[in-house]
Amino acid sequence: MAYSLSLSLLYLGLLCGNGLVSARGSELFTADPSRGPHFMGCRSREQETFRCWWSAGTFQNLTEPGALRVFYKTKKALSEWQECPDYTRTVENECYFNKTYTQIWTSYCVQLRSVPQNITYDEACFTVENIVHPDPPVGLNWTLLNVSRSGLHFDVLVRWAPPPSADVQMGWMSLVYQVHYRVRNASHWEMLDLESGTQQSIYGLHTDKEYEVRVRCKMLAFDNFGEFSNSIIVHVAQIPSKESMFPTTLVLIFGVIGVVILLVLLIFSQQQKLMVIFLPPIPAPKIRGIDPELLKNGKLDQLHSLLSSQDMYKPDFYHEDPWVEFIQLDLDDPAEKNESSDTQHLLGLSRSDSSHFLNFKSDNESGRASPKPVDLPLVSRSSSSISDLGIQQTSEVEETPIQTQPTVPSWVNMDFYAQVSDFTAAGGVVLSPGQLNSPPVKKKEEENEKKIQFQLVSDGAYTSENTARLLSADMPPSPGPEQGYQAFSTQDIEGNLWNVEYLVSANDSQTPCLVPEAPPAPILPPVSDYTVVQEVDAQHSLLLNPPPSQPVICPHSPNKHLSAMPTMPMGYLTPELLGNLNP
Amino acid sequence: MNRVKVLQAWLWCVSLWPCWLSHAVPLDCKDETGSLIQCTSISQEKLLDRVIQHAELIYRVSEESCTLFEDMFVPYPLYALRNQGGTMCHTKPFPIPGSKTEIQQISDKWLLHSVLMLVQSWMEPFVYLQTTLNRYDDAPDALLNKTKWVSDKLLSLEQGVVVLIRKMLDEGILTPSIFEHTLTPDDEPSPEIPESVLRDYNLLICFKKDAHKMETFLKLLKCRQSNKLSCLSY
Repeated sequence: MAYSLSLSLLYLGLLCGNGLVSARGSELFTADPSRGPHFMGCRSREQETFRCWWSAGTFQNLTEPGALRVFYKTKKALSEWQECPDYTRTVENECYFNKTYTQIWTSYCVQLRSVPQNITYDEACFTVENIVHPDPPVGLNWTLLNVSRSGLHFDVLVRWAPPPSADVQMGWMSLVYQVHYRVRNASHWEMLDLESGTQQSIYGLHTDKEYEVRVRCKMLAFDNFGEFSNSIIVHVAQIPSKESMFPTTLVLIFGVIGVVILLVLLIFSQQQKLMVIFLPPIPAPKIRGIDPELLKNGKLDQLHSLLSSQDMYKPDFYHEDPWVEFIQLDLDDPAEKNESSDTQHLLGLSRSDSSHFLNFKSDNESGRASPKPVDLPLVSRSSSSISDLGIQQTSEVEETPIQTQPTVPSWVNMDFYAQVSDFTAAGGVVLSPGQLNSPPVKKKEEENEKKIQFQLVSDGAYTSENTARLLSADMPPSPGPEQGYQAFSTQDIEGNLWNVEYLVSANDSQTPCLVPEAPPAPILPPVSDYTVVQEVDAQHSLLLNPPPSQPVICPHSPNKHLSAMPTMPMGYLTPELLGNLNP
Repeated sequence: MNRVKVLQAWLWCVSLWPCWLSHAVPLDCKDETGSLIQCTSISQEKLLDRVIQHAELIYRVSEESCTLFEDMFVPYPLYALRNQGGTMCHTKPFPIPGSKTEIQQISDKWLLHSVLMLVQSWMEPFVYLQTTLNRYDDAPDALLNKTKWVSDKLLSLEQGVVVLIRKMLDEGILTPSIFEHTLTPDDEPSPEIPESVLRDYNLLICFKKDAHKMETFLKLLKCRQSNKLSCLSY
């Protein structure tokens, strides 16, 4: 309770004497004329004595000496208000406390009173060490430390001595110093850090400039700086050291010139090489065969001939299929179809129109899809054989006039396929004629056919039905004409996926349905274009259906699914049927 | 004649016996691991210098702590409180003179004992100060670190002064005297901020003053050691 009360009183007192700390002495302080009598400030110089100054303020009637009096009191116990021990005579309104009355580490309170009226106008409390403003240092001087190599900057060492009033040696006052410097007559002072010693270096000063240096001090761990010392002038004249600079500059200049000359000589001597290295020639475009002048001149026909001679303008497919020129028939031309057909060529019937069989569509330009390469050897042979035929026939038919409408055996309706009727021991395929009644074929043709037959057999797997039919036209239908199909030798055609297996001979029990019976009338059954594949046996050969006109006489057919099979369309094998046939 | 000489010699030996004892008994020293080793001897001057350095540092740190606390917690009008050097600093068992002349007349023994007493009197309040500062919500870490540092340094300062006393005054190890402190630790759970702020501020100011005293005494002592003439009062 007492503690808080004292604190509050103290606070009030502080508010009254707020301006005390920042105030100045009689010559240092400026009186505040608006106020009444007040303390202007108290100061100590060496922590051994202190003074207080006051002012009457607006109360002019109190200006005569003795009207206002100062009383002080220490915070020690049993102390009373005592009057100022010494009113300075020389200075107005100053109270001086000498050594005996000055104690540090104790609080003082001073009051400004008017005794007659017993009014206290002002009060201030402080401790002496907190009001110490040391005297300025003395003996400020400077020495040159060094000058930079360029001669533009220099460093100095500034020295001073502590104020004589401060007893630093005893340790009564621990002082720290602060150095300021500036270019002469400049407005801004440069401040250096606090220094506890008595000397400090200043770096980076410019030559040929005058500097002002001053120093001040304060007590360690206190805030009050003393006054500044007198300023000293620091000046270092610039030493003209151009003699030392001159050779260096000359050497540099000559060195640079020499290097430049060397470079120029080097470039000129090695001009070609350098040109290649730095500016490589741009590769010209190389278009084989085309003169750019042509493009410029714009001779189109010449250009066209040039372009056409280039490989890239030829269609590719013309290389690969030479047989196309021989076999390909243009179905869009019905007249041609009637006139020239493969069968006719094969049969040699077109002897009269021998000129026509030469009408192979040696049309290089007509684009037909090329068949499978596996057929190529056979067909080429056949083509060669046909050409042989043709050649043989031409020799005979040279004198015959070219007829546009040759008589064609009527039975030769189908152009592409023939029915294989028999299988010879030698592995030959005996083909039956087509669906129409086979007219008697000329013997020569038979011979040719046989030739063809053997040739065909020895060649490949695939043969057209018609071809087979033609070959077997004259064969005695020993196994029966209803046996339209015979097994095909697989020996020659190993490795082929589609090994069309025609009807087996009587000895073969694979298709017992077609039991040889009494050969019927040598009327060949009509042969359709396509036949139905009935079964695929273990050797991946297709068992084909006989033509639907022939009844299947097969009482004990293990292949019961044959009867279960639906009526086949006289056409081709659908994928579903193929799926059914897969074993 | 021989008998006299022998007696003199014997007397000398007897009189110098305590000196021999004091020199023979080694000081207790502990290295970092804590084991007792023989102390490395240090000259008195160096020891005094180190003690003075300690005191100076403590004084500077006390001033910084005061400023930190002031910036953080003390409203501006109360700054003047500082100029008064603390109103309620705890009283010492014996008065310390304040004027220079009186201090200059203090003997070395009294100086050292005063310093020791001051150091010992502030150990407990600093512990208290640390606990109170931790109660503040936004006490800066620097302040807490400084108070912690001061507590540690006070201990080492005490040790140094004890050794100095032993060396300079040839006195034995003093038993630490227990001082009655007017400032008791606050057991209130949450004191009002302004009151505790004032109290702590006052504490810091008082400590700064006492640190200044320590430093001044020790420097005076050093001055006397080096140059007796200039340190005496004129």
